[in-house]
Amino acid sequence: MGWKRQIVKFWGLFGRRRRARELREEFSSHLAMEEQENLESGMTPEEAHYAALRQFGNVTLAQERSRQIWGWNSLETLLQDVRYGLRQLRRSPGFTAVAVLTLALGIGANTAIFSLIDAAMLRMLPVVKPGDLLQVKTLIPRRPGEPSGAFTNPLWEQVRGQQDVFSDVFAWGEANSRGDLINFDLTQGGLVRSAHGVWVSGEFFGALGLRPAAGRLIAPSDDRRGCRDVAVLSYGFWQEHYGGEERAIGASLLLGGHPFDVIGVAPAGFYGMEAGEKFDVAVPICSTATFDEKESRLDDRSWWWLQIAGRIKPEISRAQVSARLKVLSPGIFIAALPQDWARDGQRDFLKRTLMAVPAGTGVSEYGLREQFGRPLDVLMAVVGVVLLIACADIASLMLARAVSRHKEIAVRQALGASRMRLVRQLLTECIMLSSAGALLGVLFARWGTALLVRYISTARNTVFLDLSPDSRILAFTIAMAVLTGTLFGVLPALRSTRVSLTSAMKGTQAIEIGPSRRFRTRQWIITSQVALSFVLLVAAGLLSRSFAKLATLDIGFDRSNVLLVSTDLNAAKVAPDRQPALDESIETSLRALPGVVAVGRSFRTPMEGGAWSQLITTEWSKGLTADEAETWLNAVSPGYFAALRMPLLAGRSFTSVDTATSPRVAIVNQTLGVRFFPGQNPIGKGFRIRQPSGEWGPPIEVVGLIKDAKYEWVSEDTHPTAFFPITQVPARTARQTFELRTAIPPSALVPPVQSAVGSVDKGISLEMLTLAAQVNDSMVQERLLALLSGFFGGLALLLAMIGLYGTLSYLVNQRQTEFGVRMALGAQPGSILRLVMRDVIAVLAAGELVGTGFSLATTGLLQEMLFRLGARDTATIAIAIGVLSAVALLAGYLPAHRATKVDPMVALRYE
Amino acid sequence: MAKQQPGDRIELVYGSLDMLILRTLLWGPTHGHGIAKSIERLSEDALKVEHGSLYPALQRLQQEGWVSSEWGVSKNNQRAKYYRLTSAGRRQLLAETSRWERFVRAITGVLRPAE
Repeated sequence: MGWKRQIVKFWGLFGRRRRARELREEFSSHLAMEEQENLESGMTPEEAHYAALRQFGNVTLAQERSRQIWGWNSLETLLQDVRYGLRQLRRSPGFTAVAVLTLALGIGANTAIFSLIDAAMLRMLPVVKPGDLLQVKTLIPRRPGEPSGAFTNPLWEQVRGQQDVFSDVFAWGEANSRGDLINFDLTQGGLVRSAHGVWVSGEFFGALGLRPAAGRLIAPSDDRRGCRDVAVLSYGFWQEHYGGEERAIGASLLLGGHPFDVIGVAPAGFYGMEAGEKFDVAVPICSTATFDEKESRLDDRSWWWLQIAGRIKPEISRAQVSARLKVLSPGIFIAALPQDWARDGQRDFLKRTLMAVPAGTGVSEYGLREQFGRPLDVLMAVVGVVLLIACADIASLMLARAVSRHKEIAVRQALGASRMRLVRQLLTECIMLSSAGALLGVLFARWGTALLVRYISTARNTVFLDLSPDSRILAFTIAMAVLTGTLFGVLPALRSTRVSLTSAMKGTQAIEIGPSRRFRTRQWIITSQVALSFVLLVAAGLLSRSFAKLATLDIGFDRSNVLLVSTDLNAAKVAPDRQPALDESIETSLRALPGVVAVGRSFRTPMEGGAWSQLITTEWSKGLTADEAETWLNAVSPGYFAALRMPLLAGRSFTSVDTATSPRVAIVNQTLGVRFFPGQNPIGKGFRIRQPSGEWGPPIEVVGLIKDAKYEWVSEDTHPTAFFPITQVPARTARQTFELRTAIPPSALVPPVQSAVGSVDKGISLEMLTLAAQVNDSMVQERLLALLSGFFGGLALLLAMIGLYGTLSYLVNQRQTEFGVRMALGAQPGSILRLVMRDVIAVLAAGELVGTGFSLATTGLLQEMLFRLGARDTATIAIAIGVLSAVALLAGYLPAHRATKVDPMVALRYE
Repeated sequence: MAKQQPGDRIELVYGSLDMLILRTLLWGPTHGHGIAKSIERLSEDALKVEHGSLYPALQRLQQEGWVSSEWGVSKNNQRAKYYRLTSAGRRQLLAETSRWERFVRAITGVLRPAE
């Protein structure tokens, strides 16, 4: 019955016009009959007409009620409201434009930040049943914090062989400059065009349920020891480099100088397992043998390069998986025990246990989620507050508009519209405004997110996020539109429908509601706007001051005018014993370039990310904990310190006498000197390094003391650091970096460096970056926060001041007559000014007071993002009070000044 | 037609209008005005029916399938819509009437316990 009636009602929608016409006809025939009867009973024609109408009652109401019965009335009223709303909004284009633009900014900012959160944290992998995927991790005893997701190949083989909780289990490892020592270089020598590679186990694509876009994907049979070198391209790479053509299948692709056969293309939309990354080429794990010459990582038991995930068997729970993995752990770890580890290390290794965590949204081994999770949360809160302030602005505007629409609303009520009906009408208008704002906001957001992702990408680390809008973003934006529309609409709608009919019809403006009461609501709105914008100003101030401290910190070396030139001899196929000689000749040719002042060479460069560290010991360091005794290391050429302008404080620098065969020496920084040689002069004394086997190595003599410098991050506490002569440390890789101190802008040196290195060996691949850019890149998170919080703080301030200015202008207009009378009675302009400014100061003081309380309560959340600055920093709060007061007084002064210009005669004539 | 004082008129109990309309139509098809007049005549003007309120009720009864309608011409040559009771409407009237009687008996019993 129910659905039948719905169908009748649905069809009713179409016959409405006809039915309405018929109804009108019925009414008129009814009235005619009644009139006729009345005439017959002896009334005059006029009497007869009105008596019939009286007897009939409210014609419109009868019509409305009948239409309601035909059904789907709510839809009809909605359409009516929308049409009416459109007319209203068209009638005041200025108001509409300001409101839509304000909302677009607010909603756009929210959508943008939410899109980033969605793309980085929440989005499911585009694979079959992503919710069933679990990542396998290791709990390491005595290393508190996050469990590790890294595995060696022998461990992976054991997990694969022994597990019985996953229906499919697979492994992969990222192969780019950060994750791996191998860079997939697409060229042969010269400037590197690198591809982002990923090693995958044979089960990888099958377990994820992916189908090839072309050719075939890597299968278990491709991943056997001694396998053929095959590669699967990502869809994007295929489109970009092969134009999406079939002939790519079977083509040969040169990776780091080795030919790989392209066998297929992964599906579009699949970018890999790691958040913030996208792979270009996937190759089987077994192909590492092609790159690793002597020591293959396939058998290396302390080379942690793989990650493992699996698809849970349908009949078991996640808790059961972790429990079962824990039981299996001893057997797995003993089978993959690193034989060369010291006994302590081995004992701890065997205590490790496996566990499983959800991996449906991919994994974050590189820490994108850890690095940007908190900042994004902070930004989300910030843009939320901005939107609140924007809503308050529009609520203020609506209240002001309510005054001018007073009559319209009174007339509609007089004609029989219920208050609910009017509120609904007004809210529909609001939601229309906010929807238009949301639509425009989505455009802003698309542009903004793309900009932000480009911004957090650095030269060494391109962040990739799939920002295509998904249902979650859509739902978020729609919710945003409805929520904001309601938020700024409800109060004005309720307010403006509370009308006294008679006074409104008489034309005197709602004196019983009174401007003072109306203003009180708006005063509340303004006060909260001032308070909210104050909180954002404080947050922006804290983050910017913290960043300024970071950016101007003495980091121990001179970052300007240094070009970093990284060379990779792998592709040039240089025999290991020829490498030192080749490095020497590269250095010589670089030094000869015009514009180059000094040249250094080292294994690592400051702030390149990652660290090389070992435990060291001296006679005086017995009391140190392992954390305190951990020392950061580097191997450098004699020219390194001069090239970076790191001052030598005592002893000597390295020279050509420090060779592979001469006694081992080191230069240490001040922190190391103080910590390991307390109260001593470290020069001439020795320290020992812990070997991988767990024993202490031979003593190394300290020959120089260098000024403290930052190693990995600008914000770090300076680590004890030791430098060795590059000649005395066996190179683990064929990659090195030359530091060129230049007298000309470093970028001008790129072509000459290219040709100089090319003249030594055409096969050497090159990467170039300035040291300043590298240092900047290491502060990307802090800079992003400072920049965006500053931007949004400014926006919040602007919106709040627009609110203040608008409300005050309105108030001054309202009180024009009063001011006129006062002036006529002899009030000085100064006293009128004071009268208005008193309101401004009251609002300002209340807003700042509440805002200060609010800031003190909330900015503690920022503490971990601040560098050498307390979250309740009074100077910052004082600055915020100063800025806000100055701007607010200015915004208030303009309308107040206008109030003093009121011509008494004009104002009085109004009455 | 004897006019009663407005104070003596009784407001209709919600839902009873439907029953009255159906009852009126038992005499044969008629138009809205005829229905209004019948109700007034039968109740000797005691029941106050705003003529306009008949029409939403008629729409509802039609939607329920208890009455049907067609255009016709009235005595004095006025084009009007005539409503006719359907068999479903007849059943509905029976059910409504017996329910109403039970309701009245019950209320009366409470108000005037066996004298």
